[in-house]
Amino acid sequence: MTASLLSDLRLAWQLTRGAGRREWWRTGLTATGAALATGFALAAGALASLRGGHHSDSLAGGLLGEPGTRAGVILALLLLLVPVLGFLGQCARIGAVHRDRRLAGLRLAGATPGQVRRIAALETGLACLLGSAVATAVTVPVLVGAWERPPALTWVVLALIALAVPVLGAAAGALALRRVVASPLGWVRRVGPARPGRGPGRLFLAALLLVAGVALLAAVTASGTPRGPSLWRTPMTVFGALLAVGAGSVWLSGAACRLVGRTLAVRARSAATLIAAERLRDDPWAAARTHAAVLLVTVAGTGFVSVRHIVTEALREDRHRLAESVSYYTTGLDLTGAAIAVGLLITLSALAVGTAESLAVRRSGLAAQVAAGVPRAVLVRALLLETALPLAPALLVAGVGGLAIGAGYSSLTASGALPWSALLVPLTVYAACLLASATALPLLRRTVRPSELRHT
Amino acid sequence: MNHGDNTAGGLLTGRRLVKAHGRTEALRGATVTLDAGEILAVTGPSGSGKSTLAHCLSGITRPDAGSVTYAGRRLEELPEKRLSELRRTEFGVVFQFGQLIPELTAADNVALPLMLAGAGRAEARATAGEWLERFGVRGQEDSRPGELSGGQAQRVALARALVTGPRVVFADEPTGALDSLAGEQVMTALVHTVRETGTAVLLITHDAQVAAYADREVRLCDGVAAPQGAAA
Amino acid sequence: MSMSTRHILLGLLASGPSHGYDLKRRHDARFPQARPLAYGQVYTTLQRLVRDGLAEVEGTDSDGGPERTVYRATDEGVRELSRWAGEIAPPAPFVTNEIFAKVVVSILSDGDPAGYLRAQRAAHMDRMRELTAVKTAGGADLATVLSADFALNHLDADLRWMTTTAARLTTLTAEVDTA
Repeated sequence: MTASLLSDLRLAWQLTRGAGRREWWRTGLTATGAALATGFALAAGALASLRGGHHSDSLAGGLLGEPGTRAGVILALLLLLVPVLGFLGQCARIGAVHRDRRLAGLRLAGATPGQVRRIAALETGLACLLGSAVATAVTVPVLVGAWERPPALTWVVLALIALAVPVLGAAAGALALRRVVASPLGWVRRVGPARPGRGPGRLFLAALLLVAGVALLAAVTASGTPRGPSLWRTPMTVFGALLAVGAGSVWLSGAACRLVGRTLAVRARSAATLIAAERLRDDPWAAARTHAAVLLVTVAGTGFVSVRHIVTEALREDRHRLAESVSYYTTGLDLTGAAIAVGLLITLSALAVGTAESLAVRRSGLAAQVAAGVPRAVLVRALLLETALPLAPALLVAGVGGLAIGAGYSSLTASGALPWSALLVPLTVYAACLLASATALPLLRRTVRPSELRHT
Repeated sequence: MNHGDNTAGGLLTGRRLVKAHGRTEALRGATVTLDAGEILAVTGPSGSGKSTLAHCLSGITRPDAGSVTYAGRRLEELPEKRLSELRRTEFGVVFQFGQLIPELTAADNVALPLMLAGAGRAEARATAGEWLERFGVRGQEDSRPGELSGGQAQRVALARALVTGPRVVFADEPTGALDSLAGEQVMTALVHTVRETGTAVLLITHDAQVAAYADREVRLCDGVAAPQGAAA
Repeated sequence: MSMSTRHILLGLLASGPSHGYDLKRRHDARFPQARPLAYGQVYTTLQRLVRDGLAEVEGTDSDGGPERTVYRATDEGVRELSRWAGEIAPPAPFVTNEIFAKVVVSILSDGDPAGYLRAQRAAHMDRMRELTAVKTAGGADLATVLSADFALNHLDADLRWMTTTAARLTTLTAEVDTA
């Protein structure tokens, strides 16, 4: 068993090494994603392992000291895993066609399905292990520096998380290949890009559910149940809402892509709109994962800006009546804001990676269009419209959703003021998304070359 | 043997073209002339530089040395933008496969060059329908390339290449992915149409039976045009 | 003697009684691009068919013009026809190829085999262009297209053989010279 695992490992290494730049990109980006995931999970796990009040009040304005607020921080950290998962999902698509064909070739060369699955799992698992190791190596010293003597439970939790990330990564890698393993011939002969079905979308949803479940559990245990159900009713409600929004956003972004594609494909007047619309209609789920993360960030961002506005107003009025210092509250707000910004950043990276990959997969087709005299400007516009068209209605809904959270909070606190400034968030996110997609455009010039027209 | 001097006139002329891909020289001083309305076959073994020659002549790539003249204009003096415009107005291209946008319907694929030239969608689609009929693929307007047979897809590609009324069509192994019957239908459709429209064709092929549709043949060997005909 | 002229005529007769001139006309229409049949050859072949009991004289037909003998196939003839039609043609029993012979002779006599192959290739291409023009001409019927295709495929096979031979002339020259 160990011998065969070793030979599989050697084969996986040889294949990765011989496979070229895009494989390295995938490995590097997957490792980065895994590092982020490990980092967030480690921080959340470490906090969750604490019991009762803690002495390190100096850290984060004392937010980590109180069980109640600590639960909020854990929640935020775990929610940050959502955009990270979206990012990892995008990374898995880099060079996917090429890799699938390569592994199918292995099957044809006589490898057993189990062997191919192991090799694929090893490839992804090793990248995740790398990321996890780096994240752990950074987190542990920080942790030891912050708390002089972390309890044993904390160490156990940390070790479990550091191991779980590569194991889960390997499992996902093996799972993603089930069709290649099933039909090697079909996948070797395949000429066009593999059509991602709704499977990855389902996988994303399952992962989302898992994260939400764990987060809920962590929040509940960390906030300390003895103090009655009223305390965790609020996080429960927030969670239910977020979960619904998360699941809904995947569906919404897919549906928006399909609707926009169908509607515009019939009415398109310009070549760029026509190409973009038909691509959306053809495969509305391709970008659903990333777009879903964009929507979540937008909902959270819009909601946050509304709530922040209301809270700061309230703080200014009640300054003298508060038990804690104002900074206790503002630090919490700032941390939440930072978390949302990080989430947005990760999501935008996923968007850029996705655009770049979609360009890379289609490069010979695009080269043929350029050869036929289709101006690059038209192709560039089509590419941007592919992102811009479906995001517009989806972001509108997300913005309204976020504003509804703000309005709800506003009616709860009876301040009544609705902060319209929050509406800037969806607009900013929209602009940022277009910019992120645009970062991939220089690739169009680089990859669309006459050499892509060779048909051998 | 020097063929460099008897190339005066002609619609499209490449003189002493040199082009290297990395360290391999695909073209080593090839000279080729295409007259208006003629079908010229460029043949030769694989790796002889046929495709590279077509890419240089159509302005898809710029040669390392030598010149390309089209209707009195030197292509190497034109900026990329003008070359692109030239390719979509004066030239048409057909490859072995892959020139159709997979997500667009057959009619939209053919209408695309017209829309790029500023025609309205309805008008462009109507013209596209006429061209699809001409190539015997009427009734497939709303099929996507993946739903067409190889021969049908190539006939749609021909319609797309000819819809703007180009003066030159570059056909690079247009039947390379087809069985002989479908290939024959594609070549017959191409020849009949260009004879009617007076379009010149540069036909790249390794297949003598396809080359036989041409009026004339240039044989490339190691990046230069091989001497033709009489033994001595 | 063409190995199949008698069977082809017998086949034409099998579709209905016919006189000699009509048979020649139908043959030339049915097998375009083939060497046209001489009337004398039709006449002698018909006589041999009658002699062998495969065909018989049905009567005469004047139809306003000169009087012509009308022939028809016998039952024996129909049986012979179906035997022949189902019989497999021997695949290339003897390899006699003028082009190959010329290449070898050219090497033996210190000639220019490469130049000969180039010229022969050009001649083959000319003929292929002619045949392609015939089959793509408007109104060409399927029989014309198929017979042109038959010749085109054979010429193409020659061409491919010439291309590979031209690429291996050095080795061939060494082999022929030492032998």
